[in-house]
Amino acid sequence: MLGFLTARQAGLDDPLRLRRAESTRRVLSLKLNPDRDVDRIHGNGINSLDIEAVEGRYMLSGGADGVIVIYDLENFSGKPQYTCKTVCTVGRSSRHVHKFSVETVQWYPYDTGMFVSSSFDKTMKVWDTETLKPADVFEFEGNVYSHHLSPIARKHSLIAVGTKNPKIQLCDLKSGSRIHVLQGHRAEVLSVRWSPRYEHILATASADSKVKVWDVRRASGSLLTLDQHNGEKSKASSEAVNTAHNGRVNGLCFTGDGLYLLTTGTDDRMRLWNSATGENTLVNYGKVCNESRKRLQFTVSHGCSPEFVFVPCGSSVAVYALHTGELVTMLRGHYNNVDCCEFHPDYQELYSGGKDCNILAWVPVLRASDVEEESNNAIKGAVGQTSVNPAFQDAWSSEED
Amino acid sequence: MNRKRALISDTFKVKKTRNGTEKFGAVSNGDGLTDVKSTVEYLMTLFPRKLFNDTLPQIVFKHQLYSIHSDKTLVDKELNKLCERGELLMFQLGFDAEAFGLIFASDYKAKVLAGEEGRETQATVKKFLEKVLSSCTDLSFSKDKMLREFLFTDSEITQLVKSGVLTVRDAGSWWLSIPNSGKFTKYFIQGRKAVLGMVKKSKYSEVLKAELEERRTTSHVKFHMKYHIHDIVGAELVESIPTTSGTLLRFVDS
Repeated sequence: MLGFLTARQAGLDDPLRLRRAESTRRVLSLKLNPDRDVDRIHGNGINSLDIEAVEGRYMLSGGADGVIVIYDLENFSGKPQYTCKTVCTVGRSSRHVHKFSVETVQWYPYDTGMFVSSSFDKTMKVWDTETLKPADVFEFEGNVYSHHLSPIARKHSLIAVGTKNPKIQLCDLKSGSRIHVLQGHRAEVLSVRWSPRYEHILATASADSKVKVWDVRRASGSLLTLDQHNGEKSKASSEAVNTAHNGRVNGLCFTGDGLYLLTTGTDDRMRLWNSATGENTLVNYGKVCNESRKRLQFTVSHGCSPEFVFVPCGSSVAVYALHTGELVTMLRGHYNNVDCCEFHPDYQELYSGGKDCNILAWVPVLRASDVEEESNNAIKGAVGQTSVNPAFQDAWSSEED
Repeated sequence: MNRKRALISDTFKVKKTRNGTEKFGAVSNGDGLTDVKSTVEYLMTLFPRKLFNDTLPQIVFKHQLYSIHSDKTLVDKELNKLCERGELLMFQLGFDAEAFGLIFASDYKAKVLAGEEGRETQATVKKFLEKVLSSCTDLSFSKDKMLREFLFTDSEITQLVKSGVLTVRDAGSWWLSIPNSGKFTKYFIQGRKAVLGMVKKSKYSEVLKAELEERRTTSHVKFHMKYHIHDIVGAELVESIPTTSGTLLRFVDS
């Protein structure tokens, strides 16, 4: 670490290199921290989490009981022991609360004045954060599985909505219209995602085992249908059997730079695709257990040198290296199935929520404090340090520099 | 799991590394095979040729290689290279969407032609092997492709299906297949079920790998025990855990 700092100071290394190396080291040491807690408000499982992009301070969560909660993640108390407090909630007592389970929540990408939530009560509501009242409500014919607002859009303000209906609806925030429809899937659409690189590119995943990539400006159908066997895509007859997975495709995630797309399916596989050509990069992650009948929210790390994928796998979160496919570690801590996880890019923290109504915060473990700092124990908070006779303490540290 | 040493990324690794610390309990098969091709050849030796009276070429599964090499993506890449060079052929065997069979191309051609001796479909099959296999490395063929690129007529396609070289995938597309492989698939599935049953019935649903290899097999298990063990470990139907007494195989409940 000191070597990296000196090199940066002397100009031998690019400043980005130190940042990447330290981010990677922090991600590799993610652990459940006894000091960090998230307020427990939900009485039922948590389906979706979202951290706002502007400051990274506020987190939204949507639960199976229809409740939406906003948490403040910043720690201004000065103590390491911190519980992320609830700022406000849309509880069961509110007049505008969703009747059934909230499936997806997302902050408006440019400020926290607005957020959008969609639920199994066949509506999607656009909320004003100040008054906690819906500014607009979109109604649909079937359960809404997923929606997404483009994080980089400047020319449009469309929300892509995936419902039980095979047609994907694009709702316009500015005008409130929803006439733009994308046709092509044959079964319910479980997940939709805009590309973080091009504001008009949308990827959708459906229960008919297909993943389609669309350009919303194009009048005719999809640009690509992803094929796991990388066979010929040009002939019409082969388009019909192009499947991305051998089961329902229920998770989609673009990498931070938008160059790659990850998909997970109920065939227990996760695949990495080149998002420009639609080619299967054939990275083999092994068996990624997946039994979810709804959308699975998984996430990719941001700003690390080998990027990592965090996938909920049963009651733990599996961490894979993105391009080599090796399983780095399993984060165990939840008591029941994990449904969603979200990565905080600035602090390299992971928040995961599941059916056990808990949101757990996985925080990088800092270096254990040395013998000299024993006197500061009271301020640091007990991280499992007991007062041991210094003569018996292990003075050897595993630090390499 | 409590780790004494935290995971460290490559950039922070200590410069001095102890040389050759072998992970306890993990015994590498076949004297440290590092090459994917030699691993395939080793696994081919486990295939029972006498069982099928030498009519079938030696078949190995892609996932059996995962039990020997730890990096799956590397194995996949190497296999793709071998397929593109035309040395290896990959087949979708039908009983599991993920089970891909591997056969050496020369083996396959020899056995198929030997099987076709004296039958009326021989000429078409020969034509197919020469034209298609040497140029195309796909797993499946669509009708358009067969008619246009390779100039096969409909009746010729019917003959190919009859001889067993192609099997129906969808209306208008076919998988490349191995003639007379039905028996192989049947014995394989039976054997896999029997071996998995042996592991599951053991106390705590776990067995030491060395002990499993020693066990007497029932009449259901017709292949070599090692062949089946590589299969269930590679397909992640059992978890392979290194212990001080050797590798332990624990049944995975899914």
